[in-house]
Amino acid sequence: MYSMIMTSMLDGIRAVPVRVEVDICAGLPGFDMVGFLSSEVREAKERVRTALHNCGIALPPKRITINLSPANIRKSGTGFDLPIAVALLTAMELVSPESVSGMIFAGELNLRGDILPVNGVLPIVSDGCVSGVTRFVVPYANVREARLVKNATVYGFENLNQLLAFLKGEPYTERGGELSDVREKKREVDFSEVNGQRFLRRAAEVAASGMHNILMVGPPGAGKTMISERMATILPPLTEEERLELSKIYSVCGLLGNRTSLLETRPFRSPHHTITRVGLSGGGIGLRPGEISLAHHGVLFLDELTEFDKATLDILRQPLEEHVIHITRASGSVTYPAGFLLLAAMNPCSCGYYPDMQKCRCTPSTLQRYFGRVSQPLIDRMDICVEAPMVSYEELTGASFNECSADIQARVQACHAIQEKRYEGELFFHNSQIPAGRLKEFCPLGEKEERYMEQMYEKLGLTARTYHKVLRVARTVADCEHAENIRLKHLQEAICYRSIDDKFWGGV
Amino acid sequence: MYGLWLANIPGITQFKIRLIREVCPVAEELYAMSDETIAKIPGLEKADVCRIIESRKIWNPEREWMKLQEKGIHFVTLEDAVYPEKLKSIHNPPYALYYMGKLPDPEAKSVAIVGARGRSAYGSQVARQLAEALAHAGIAVVSGMARGIDTDGHMGALEAHGETFAVLGCGVDICYPKQNDYLYRHIPENGGILSEYPLGTEPMAALFPQRNRIISGLSDYTVVIEARTRSGSLITADYAMEQGREVYALPGRITDPLSQGTNALIRQGAGIYTGVEDFLKDLQFLEANSYVQSDFRKNLLEKDESLVYSLFDFAPVGLGSLIQNSPYGLSEIMNILERLEQKGFVKETIPNYYVKTI
Repeated sequence: MYSMIMTSMLDGIRAVPVRVEVDICAGLPGFDMVGFLSSEVREAKERVRTALHNCGIALPPKRITINLSPANIRKSGTGFDLPIAVALLTAMELVSPESVSGMIFAGELNLRGDILPVNGVLPIVSDGCVSGVTRFVVPYANVREARLVKNATVYGFENLNQLLAFLKGEPYTERGGELSDVREKKREVDFSEVNGQRFLRRAAEVAASGMHNILMVGPPGAGKTMISERMATILPPLTEEERLELSKIYSVCGLLGNRTSLLETRPFRSPHHTITRVGLSGGGIGLRPGEISLAHHGVLFLDELTEFDKATLDILRQPLEEHVIHITRASGSVTYPAGFLLLAAMNPCSCGYYPDMQKCRCTPSTLQRYFGRVSQPLIDRMDICVEAPMVSYEELTGASFNECSADIQARVQACHAIQEKRYEGELFFHNSQIPAGRLKEFCPLGEKEERYMEQMYEKLGLTARTYHKVLRVARTVADCEHAENIRLKHLQEAICYRSIDDKFWGGV
Repeated sequence: MYGLWLANIPGITQFKIRLIREVCPVAEELYAMSDETIAKIPGLEKADVCRIIESRKIWNPEREWMKLQEKGIHFVTLEDAVYPEKLKSIHNPPYALYYMGKLPDPEAKSVAIVGARGRSAYGSQVARQLAEALAHAGIAVVSGMARGIDTDGHMGALEAHGETFAVLGCGVDICYPKQNDYLYRHIPENGGILSEYPLGTEPMAALFPQRNRIISGLSDYTVVIEARTRSGSLITADYAMEQGREVYALPGRITDPLSQGTNALIRQGAGIYTGVEDFLKDLQFLEANSYVQSDFRKNLLEKDESLVYSLFDFAPVGLGSLIQNSPYGLSEIMNILERLEQKGFVKETIPNYYVKTI
């Protein structure tokens, strides 16, 4: 007897349909599984057989062949246990083929026959709906995640017996235990808690408005980390589409939990500087997303930039340009989205006091070495670079009125709207992404401004690249004021944000 | 020509050259001397004698001399009349001097400006101001072309079109540190780059204290601008005192690490550098060439300018701190800074960091 069950496998954050075919025929008793299986899928054979046995179902002493098709894709993941078990039940004629058609199954089994949760249920359900399937059977622990997709009919079961009863015609009842309600922890940080640092606040707002990457240089304890943590709160709220995409990434990593809604807030990821290349880019066993993908649509914060391994940071170069990362390994290749705002912080020198040479104990050569620890290509991709000065006691403790995140967010949102309108039909969305060739078109300068930039070019020793960066930032500064054209003061401000180079460490 | 040979024999040090010159003061004679006579020179070991004899066979004086000429490098020894008189009088004058550009004028006065490599913005300004004033007074500035104060001294003199001389601790054909390429190219135009070491000598830590005796030896005065407790500049000051030259030091707060070396010098009896005017007076130079300090403070400041100016110090202040501590926004601050810079009250030392000018 032959049977076929639909299931799905993850490829990046997409779900690829996979069919589980079972054939039971007369012959020498045996149990074979084929279809380009990875070891965890091959182990399903033992799990399924024992699980069925413990549910009181004995496999017939016949020749059983299981095929996972298409056979040219490597099957990995633990979600195949359930569809294999259901396909066997169908082939054994314990379940009628009609009751399982038009359904996608995913789930892991243990030896007792319990159905265990798997990662990536959200993309499986969401992509299944797109391809026209509307009924899904998932582990009970994944029910909430699966129901985040509208128009999907989701059935969740805790063990095989419940599922069997349902497939035999019993009406569906939610019989699982209470699901712990992991509500999204409301981000409790707010910009109003940041005292002082007016310059840094302003720079953060400009960076958020034009999606410019930003580098903060300042002594430890100046508030760099504090500002960074609040960066995500001033970015515009996620759109529905962005929320789904982001939730899928977290689902693939199993980080979605039992939430009752898609992710709402933009992620803030702050990996420790000991992070490995794979940890940052993604990959490893199962080609999981890395930090840069988890920071998608949000903020990636690199504290103590100089402590990071240079080779690790160089990984960021391509995703910063393309907003995706292609991971190609022997076990396959996947593409994860990786569009994030990069925020980095570092000390001005190894002792932290530079450029006050009376306090700084660094020699010119140690300063040079310190600067050498920074990845230059990465610095080149930083549009905004600001100093974070020490905060005085009065500023820290004084009761001052600070703007809250919501107010800043409103302005940033308005600024994003301007850009959206300006770049309609273009391949880019933000000021930071204007290609160098089209700067003349989007950042036209008046005569006075042109002259000013000419002077500054000479005086500050700008390069073509830094010049372009200044223009892009000036465009954002102008947009912040809803100004049509870039004026002198916008350029002046943008010049203040120009990135540091070896001149900075060249000695006072 | 033969001096070049003598200076380039491997293993024959300054000390041994002095021994040889006691017997035979002219290198050409040594070149022509028989092996037996050379062996009789007191103080020379067998190995040294062998080296001298060997090197005579391989060394082609004319060809080596031509090589030097082609590179535009000059060479003098103690045998030559043009060898700087001031240097001749020191305890351990270098036998040979390689130089690009020219040698210091024996008649003219010269002042060495030395100090810390990692100096403060304040020290940098004092050094520059002094160098400029000296240049205007026609006094040559001597230093070591190191980073920091040395560079400030040379730059100040160069910018005021004065003479300046750099004494290197490596061969004159090597620019060290590399960042000072500008100085390396421009000092020979109106001054000179000197070294006692053969061409191609790499910069080595051991060589630098030695060259300091030449810096102080070429100068009538040595001014130490900023120095930590165990600074190389103090070695220069020691040499200067040994050589009977005047030493001046810039006083500073006793808590400032960069002033500890200079304050110690003052304690030992060095002259106190209290400003360009006083210093030139001590040099007895002021009557002839009355020095007028450009007094930018005559320019009056607007209210907003003076408010911002009050935030400045001699340590660099960043734009962030300025904004934090003043009631003005970014573009206003930028405007005020531009005006202050134009009036000469402040200057930008590194990107977005400003200091008070002196």
